[in-house]
Amino acid sequence: MTLRSFLAARILVLVLSGLISSQAAAARSAEPRVVKDPHYGEVLFYFYQQQYFTALSRLMTAQHFNQFQHHADEAELLRGGMLLSYGVHLEAGRIFERLIAQGAAPAVRNRAWFYLAKIRYQRGYVQEAEQALAQIEGKLPAELDEERQILHALLLMQRGEYRAAADLLKNVAGNSPWSRYGRYNLGVALVRAGETQPGIALLDQLGREPAQDEEMASLRDKVNVALGFSLLQADRAEEAKASLERVRLSGLMTNKALLGMGWAQLSLNRTERALVYWEELRQRGILDSAVQESMLAVPFALGKLGAYRQSLERYEEASRLYEQEMTQIDQSVAAIRAGKLSELLLRDDTSEEDGWFWTLEKLPDAPEARYLVQLMAGHDFQEALKNYRDLRFLIARLDQWAHDLPVYEDMLATRRAGFRERLPQSLTAARERDSAAHKEARDRLRDTLARIILDDDAEALANEREHDQGLRLARLERLLERQGSATDPDTVERVRLLRGLLTWDQAVAFPARRWEAQHSLQELDKVLDDTRSWREALSQARETMPREFDAFEARIQALTPRLRALQARARDLAVAQSAHLGELAVIELTAQRERLATYLTQVHFAVAQIYDQSASETKEAPAP
Amino acid sequence: MLNQRDSHCRTRPLSNVWRIGTLTIALTLLSLFSPFSVRAADQAAATSQFKTLDTKIQDLKQEVLELNRDLFVLEEELLFPASTQIAVFLSVDTGTFFSLESVELKIDNKTVTHYLYTERENAALHRGGVHRLYLGNLRTGKHELVAFFTGKGTHERDYRLGTSLVVEKDADTKFIELKIRDKQQKLQPEFEVKVWK
Repeated sequence: MTLRSFLAARILVLVLSGLISSQAAAARSAEPRVVKDPHYGEVLFYFYQQQYFTALSRLMTAQHFNQFQHHADEAELLRGGMLLSYGVHLEAGRIFERLIAQGAAPAVRNRAWFYLAKIRYQRGYVQEAEQALAQIEGKLPAELDEERQILHALLLMQRGEYRAAADLLKNVAGNSPWSRYGRYNLGVALVRAGETQPGIALLDQLGREPAQDEEMASLRDKVNVALGFSLLQADRAEEAKASLERVRLSGLMTNKALLGMGWAQLSLNRTERALVYWEELRQRGILDSAVQESMLAVPFALGKLGAYRQSLERYEEASRLYEQEMTQIDQSVAAIRAGKLSELLLRDDTSEEDGWFWTLEKLPDAPEARYLVQLMAGHDFQEALKNYRDLRFLIARLDQWAHDLPVYEDMLATRRAGFRERLPQSLTAARERDSAAHKEARDRLRDTLARIILDDDAEALANEREHDQGLRLARLERLLERQGSATDPDTVERVRLLRGLLTWDQAVAFPARRWEAQHSLQELDKVLDDTRSWREALSQARETMPREFDAFEARIQALTPRLRALQARARDLAVAQSAHLGELAVIELTAQRERLATYLTQVHFAVAQIYDQSASETKEAPAP
Repeated sequence: MLNQRDSHCRTRPLSNVWRIGTLTIALTLLSLFSPFSVRAADQAAATSQFKTLDTKIQDLKQEVLELNRDLFVLEEELLFPASTQIAVFLSVDTGTFFSLESVELKIDNKTVTHYLYTERENAALHRGGVHRLYLGNLRTGKHELVAFFTGKGTHERDYRLGTSLVVEKDADTKFIELKIRDKQQKLQPEFEVKVWK
């Protein structure tokens, strides 16, 4: 991991943990957290899975529906953070600027500027990063402030202001997580500023410190190689040797250390010992530049020892290998120019949207990729590859929508047809239920009930049994009346009694029956009102629904060309990005080829010198 | 003759190779001492091209996100209009006593979703994420919603528990949250249903 990629990774961890500090803090303390809007929680669900595209889409959709009533500001801050993580730092910057303009608290504002500066730096926008850093007012919290100083120092070094960078880095505490990287940069800055001795002393101290993990061990190796080569350049070979000896035997810097050890021994006139290191190096993979150089250094040392025949043999072997490698590089360049590199590099990539943290860890086994180890370690190449990968994801996403949109169009057409078909039937049914006859009947009932109430006409609300009894009594009463004096007085009395009983029962039941009748009438009113509403809604729908269908159709029609245009742009950009990746690879391969060509020229020169010398010696030798 | 020592013969080729060595030292220092790439004009041109493309890609990403939002909005309004929309969310509060494996959701006795949670999703839930388990349509009126949670309880015991709720769907969207919480007194999980709207 390079310093720069380390910084990139650390930056994002801190950006995101800082941006959602409340969630992070809650997670650490295992305290129950309160998500007050479920849609905000849904965004977090995808965010925590690093599915930034999905999280952003959900967040923006929820914002459209105004579903963040309690988390509006947090959601916007989170959107900014996720856009950063998705590589859209310009829009993220606009969000932070808007939040700042809207009067965010100074702490939030400073943090926003700080993260913005780091991401801009990480993306190579140095000037913009400096502008963002300059916006920070006062001090950041201690941990962030150290990072700010490191970042500021890196930006100063970028502009060649090493002394100022060194002054700034002196403030970084020794025990902070940034300390070693900061001190490494300080050492580098001091050496570059011409203050070699303090710079070397600092690197020497750093190169001796124990490393707790692989990352720190790698950094220590890098420090020791840097220090060793600095000392070699300053003709301090003995010290250089001590520094290079501290490099691990298996690591990314081992080959460079072996090469340096050889040169250190040679400087100390210990040519045989130099050969030991270079012979070891020669056995390693030819793709490494240190190994390639050892092919030249070994015959050089043999020549110095006077073993010219062996020296010549090794030079010739080196010549063969260099030419062989140059041919293979030419083949690689041709394959890359055929445009196969990008897809090849992502051949084994199955993940979808891991976003920011994604890096290509392993090169595929193919001629195009064989010489790209150096390139793969570089920030620019990884960033460019990540952009290409994002483009692939966007193309897949857009293609999916291009498939779905016509389905929505069909669905809309089906709905429209169904509506047209069912509306007349529904309207007929509603009209029947909402007819004038029904309303007139209801009015008649209301008048009748009003009269019954006014007259206290209990008999009018008699139930069926009472009604029958009343009819039968009336018939009896008429019969008795016709019989006149011949009527049996007992019978007359019994009929009168029955009539009295019936009248009594109806009078007693009348209040309840009156209430019931009034209630039924109210229910009838409600049914008729609902029917009217239904009919009105249907009438309204007859007007509005076609407009709604039209609006949906218009939206789909407006989205379709947008979608198509974006599909085309995404494809064009993918082609351009792929070409750019190829270009980066070709630049790297060309540099490697040039280096091999330089070595080859030196081989030819050395061999010619040896033959030339041999010939002149033969010519000068006296005849036997 | 080649194995004979000769100082003149030795000096010139050796000095060339030595220059290679010093060049290597200088180049190595340059690469180690610079956190930034400084490889000549080609590299500068490539960086410039990267920036141009990066800006275009940023614009594209932003526009695709906006299009994606508009399409999601269209999809939701078309497929799940507010008058009939119901969304069921699931959240985990602490979750010490229960490790969620799956949830089956039934509405009016019909299974509408059966969701299996991955380890990654579970971790996101434990950190405060909320999963939208179901988005669908319901007519106005009363509906019975039943959820069955399956997972591991304390001491790795299999756990299956259900919870139910009768919801009254009106003309507005209805958001329901199923919460898995720890019940400290009984050292057991409990399942709570919350109606948001």
